[in-house]
Amino acid sequence: MDFIEIIERGEAEIHYIHPDDFREYVRDKKNREMKDKLMDEREAVKKFVSNGDYLAYDFSSLTRGPQSLIREIIRQRKKNLWVCAKFTLLETVLLSGAGCVDKIDVGFLGFGPYIARKVQNGEVKVYDWSNGSITYRLVAGAMGIPFIAARNLLGTDTLKHSGAVVVRCPFSNTPTALMPALNPDVAIIHVQEADIYGNARVYGPTVATLETAMASKKVIISAERIVETIEFRKNPLMTTLPYYLVDAVVHAPFGAYPGGTQGYYEMDSEHYLMLTSIADDNAMQKYLEEYVYSVDNHEEFLAKIGMDKLKQLIRKAEILEGYR
Amino acid sequence: MGVEFTDTEFMICNAARLLEDYKTIFVGWGIPQVVAILAEKLYTPNIVQVFEFGSVGHQSRTPFLRGTMGGPTNTYRAIQWCSMNLAFSYAAAGYIDYGVLGAAQIDRYGNINSTMIGDDYNKPKVRFPGSGGGNEVASFCWKTIFVMAHEKRRFVERCDFITSPGHKMDGKTREEVGLARNSGPYRLITSKAMFDFDEETKELRLIGVLKGLTIEEVIDDMGFEPLVADDVVELEPPTQEELKLLREDIDPYGLIISKGAKFKVEI
Repeated sequence: MDFIEIIERGEAEIHYIHPDDFREYVRDKKNREMKDKLMDEREAVKKFVSNGDYLAYDFSSLTRGPQSLIREIIRQRKKNLWVCAKFTLLETVLLSGAGCVDKIDVGFLGFGPYIARKVQNGEVKVYDWSNGSITYRLVAGAMGIPFIAARNLLGTDTLKHSGAVVVRCPFSNTPTALMPALNPDVAIIHVQEADIYGNARVYGPTVATLETAMASKKVIISAERIVETIEFRKNPLMTTLPYYLVDAVVHAPFGAYPGGTQGYYEMDSEHYLMLTSIADDNAMQKYLEEYVYSVDNHEEFLAKIGMDKLKQLIRKAEILEGYR
Repeated sequence: MGVEFTDTEFMICNAARLLEDYKTIFVGWGIPQVVAILAEKLYTPNIVQVFEFGSVGHQSRTPFLRGTMGGPTNTYRAIQWCSMNLAFSYAAAGYIDYGVLGAAQIDRYGNINSTMIGDDYNKPKVRFPGSGGGNEVASFCWKTIFVMAHEKRRFVERCDFITSPGHKMDGKTREEVGLARNSGPYRLITSKAMFDFDEETKELRLIGVLKGLTIEEVIDDMGFEPLVADDVVELEPPTQEELKLLREDIDPYGLIISKGAKFKVEI
């Protein structure tokens, strides 16, 4: 009998779901009926985010990120999350500051000293991957295959501290990295347009919107604008997510704030700087109290930011080509 | 007559001068973005930028906007917007010629560290953001250019953590670990010098020093002794044209270019 030689094994614990288990979940739990999934963020997070879930999100902290949903997860004080931080400047930091996170798969863990200290103290456990390897893992999860073979991470300590395995490829006879498929328990994604059934489209670079949604058991999207289904049928090439991937649709204008959303508003640099200057737990808890716990919902949060500021951010978003 | 400039301006200008026109370049966040914009404006107008976010061939708008790399200003009039999966796969399949990366530490084979400092992974002395897309850039691009401040502590015999691969990792070549043939580190540009990698041994080799500095001064500020080329050249400081573009057009608020020590060189 022939064996494939295993050359090296990364030591990280991985979140892994057998492809057949995932398929059966999709068969039984993902409704193919076009039904109205519009709900507020409180209901969506209550129904679809559980303590201990593996959480993924798309796009980034500064562009089309699902920030209103992140704040709702914090408001509901979810616990023991394992976060896919493909590249993250704010989300993981706020979630960690609020005590929601135990583990982080790192692509890029930005935001400086606050999160660095949490890692140094061992308050959160990190597993090092890279943006590319995590993306490829999501691709595998979206394809229903158990792993994907790729040529990143090879030769590095990143690989040693990831959950990848190096084998000798039976075709090329060269060492090849196998990345385990990633099937998150829940994905939260912000989009420009969605209908009430969950058909959705994004404008601009897509990062891993489709792969993340396809690979995840539960998917919540928040949308700047709710549109009629005919908008998708008129231009089907522009459908990023078909409705049957999506479990909940939240109407969230300014849902990416303090980041921006292409075609709608720019990021709020001042608010962002205020966040990145948080260095200790005192400042973090003060921020969370003021902007998350003490407001009831996204609308109250926006009222706190104020119409003047929001208008300025809309005013700055002058580039529209490509975004409608 | 003298010219004054920062470390960062020097590195950006030297990196921009290295690029070739009608080539593709994988551009990371921050300094690499400014390198690409300067090159596009001054030296290589047809260079095609690729962002990991999924933007190909965008046309730079100035002033450079820090932050929202995937937003409208930085991805303006692209040839293609795509997924991150595709952006990295372009590089993996061989379509991307150059990559530009920063580093916290580098060793003599061009391995770089952007993950952590310390000898215990679980209790790092300093924790950095990690690979981001750096591992992919260093693994997949044909030629990778590193940009790093010239400080002794950054040049190490063995990186505390090899985030992204160089030419030899703990004695193993790129091909031996399964990386693509003929790819890898191409140049290291620091605030004082430029290095390539010896064709035979693949070790870091000093090929240029900033005008006004000696080879000894440059090597004294390193944690190990590099190979030295027979004909080490003088690296010209930023030109007036480069500085004017950087300071008045590309980065008038000094978000990137004002960082680092200031130099003055007589010209």
